[in-house]
Amino acid sequence: MILVKNGHVIDPVNGINEEMDLFIKNGRISSEFKINEKECEVIDAKGKLVVAGAIDIHAHIAARKINSGRAMRPEEFRRVRQKTGKFRAAVGRTLLTAPAIGYEYVKMGYTTAIEPATPSLYTLHTHEELDSIPIIDKAALPLFGNWHLVFKFIAENDIEKLASFISWVLEKMKGYGVKVVNPGGVEAWMYGSNAHSIDDLVPYYDVSVRDIITGLIKANEMLDLPHSIHIHCNNLGEPGNYETTVDTMKLANGIRNNRRQVLHVTHVQFNAFSGSGWKDMGSGTEEIIKLVNKSDNITIDMGQVIFGHATTMTADGPFQFDLHKLLKNKWINLDVELETGTGVVPLIYRPSSPVHSVMWAIALELGLLVNPDKNVISTDYPNGGPFDRYPYIMTLLLSRKYREKEMERAHKYLQRAANLPSIDIERTLEDIVKMTRSSPARILGMHNKGHLGEGADADVVVYDINPAEFNPDKYREIEKALSSALFTIKGGTVVVKNGKIAGDIWGRTMWVDATLRTTAEIIEPDLEEYFNYYTVNRENYGVEERWMRRAERIEVG
Amino acid sequence: MLIIKPKIDFEVNVEAEITPDIATDLEYAKSFTVYYGKLEMSLAELFEVEKEGDSKVIVLEGDFSRVKWIGKGMLDGEIIVRGNAGANYGAFMKGGKIVIEGNADDWIGAEMEGGEIIVKGDAKNLIGCPYWGDLEGMKGGKIVIEGNAGNYIGEKMVSGEIEVRGKAGDFIGTEMKGGLITIHGDCGIVGGDMKAGEIRIGGIFELVPAFRETDDVFVGDVNVKGKGIVRVLTL
Ligand SMILES: [Zn+2]
Repeated sequence: MILVKNGHVIDPVNGINEEMDLFIKNGRISSEFKINEKECEVIDAKGKLVVAGAIDIHAHIAARKINSGRAMRPEEFRRVRQKTGKFRAAVGRTLLTAPAIGYEYVKMGYTTAIEPATPSLYTLHTHEELDSIPIIDKAALPLFGNWHLVFKFIAENDIEKLASFISWVLEKMKGYGVKVVNPGGVEAWMYGSNAHSIDDLVPYYDVSVRDIITGLIKANEMLDLPHSIHIHCNNLGEPGNYETTVDTMKLANGIRNNRRQVLHVTHVQFNAFSGSGWKDMGSGTEEIIKLVNKSDNITIDMGQVIFGHATTMTADGPFQFDLHKLLKNKWINLDVELETGTGVVPLIYRPSSPVHSVMWAIALELGLLVNPDKNVISTDYPNGGPFDRYPYIMTLLLSRKYREKEMERAHKYLQRAANLPSIDIERTLEDIVKMTRSSPARILGMHNKGHLGEGADADVVVYDINPAEFNPDKYREIEKALSSALFTIKGGTVVVKNGKIAGDIWGRTMWVDATLRTTAEIIEPDLEEYFNYYTVNRENYGVEERWMRRAERIEVG
Repeated sequence: MLIIKPKIDFEVNVEAEITPDIATDLEYAKSFTVYYGKLEMSLAELFEVEKEGDSKVIVLEGDFSRVKWIGKGMLDGEIIVRGNAGANYGAFMKGGKIVIEGNADDWIGAEMEGGEIIVKGDAKNLIGCPYWGDLEGMKGGKIVIEGNAGNYIGEKMVSGEIEVRGKAGDFIGTEMKGGLITIHGDCGIVGGDMKAGEIRIGGIFELVPAFRETDDVFVGDVNVKGKGIVRVLTL
């Protein structure tokens, strides 16, 4: 039992922004008020900020992509973050080892992270890697946007079968939700091509990108899964691509769910470019921001770029090939034989680059102008940079002075190609709590997370920030405080004290079981036919719960 | 000047990232942290350390073939090894001079940016190369091997000079982007994916079959649209 006394609690879900005590019992927040302090570990949080554990909605932390990147980039592992001692060794610059991932997250007060792109065939590996990441809770999103069976059910306009298929995949792979990457485009990549608008057709299928997205939204909503579909739009990283993003968002029109959005558009920065080429590339955020703010069925995450080293890795094979040609840097191309694709290319974001500076500004425009209830802080780790720089992003959003200082460092092209210089807004601490806690929890349908009400997971963070005396001009102090939590409590165990790891536990891996909502038999002939002709056997797919360290089944039904 | 001698025959490698910066302060030098296998120790626990005068010079006396990383990133001053040297000497060095009177192990002058390394005996592999994964090898300075050298010399070299007075092994100037490599004796495969810079060879060698022959030199590697020059030295 832990008593966090006198802290300044900010919990937007429960309307709290004031000094109060928090009582933790059996790994959950308790509302008991007769507390014997002698039986508790007491943390005095007087004058400190107390919030729920943060959630990373989109970070490539496990398996195929990050591991191929690790193999390709031995130069990443010269940075020692923690030597072996009481806890495990942790190394890595932008590509961290599994222990480093868990430790670095909790040091900043993050207690949950979502691996957003697992090829189904390799999901066993994804779970093995998630099982090697200490402390945090995790989940994985299997990829759906380029499966032949998805195209088939959509071509037949059979949403019921598509829903059954989604539920079959999630159960088989122990996945949490539906990820879609460059729908149709990755399939076209298998023929050396790509998809460039939502009206492009998939080779050899009478199905357009538009059909794939709307079909998957409808099937996802038929199942009423905790999370909506989670999309990486077509044309990622191309000048002028904001139009495709707007077109994609409009596909959610008229479909609703009263609990949450029906479409989550991820790392939007990479899909919010204006211009016709790299010479006139600029910020294309204006229409996207308007559309997201007026819609109650669309949410986004930022995809912030951090100046410095990064490793791009997506299931978007054709994009990664273009990037490799542009940068002439090393490249891995994988999974073309699967129901998805994969590419990995290292990258350095330089403030001296006009394009990189505008990308940096685009994400901040989204962070400052999109309603925090619909927006989440992300870097699309490790595409935009390492996740351990989230405190930098938060501080840029909180402090205009810090932004101005960083803008001086950036290329002056930003001044005319982006809107950021004219934005005076400073986000409040409550906004930041929304963009890192309550919004990702609601978007993912994780109702025990992102808040500190009775029964919530006891994921609690104490920062050395006094909200009553908060001064955004002291940005160095703010960034430092957010980087290094005074206390992080995960599921009722103190795991960080004064920015150092103090406890090592294993978190859970959540997965969604929607099989009660569907009848597996209706897709059985289709599965049989598919695997009859496919190069991989059906028996090669699947992960059993008993193979996972701490699986948590979330039943929908 | 510091004079450093091993106290024992080392059973496992020692990692000692010492530079001439420690030569002027004996107490600091003695307490400098080194690793003996996995053990963290002070320099004075493993070595006799004596000081003579205030010059920025380190003299290593005895067998240093199991002592690695001497002169890593050094800026100035001089290191003289009166015996055999281990791996990674002068890696990342930016200035100053290292003289190895005996033989040297792998990775001499890896990713060095300036200064000079002279090996009076033989040197092993990976001279002036990038560490695994990095995109640029030697960026400046000069490495001279008076004896023979092993495989991989000047891979992804950007600038500077490497001279081998004796023979060398395979993979000379692979993916070279600039600078000069001279091998006076025979060597193996030369110039794979070479983009720019120059390689001069005095002995018999094997050129990758992707160079154009001009009047006096070979130009390539054409596979990467390279403009590198391979020149045969004549007496
Ligand atoms: Zn991603």
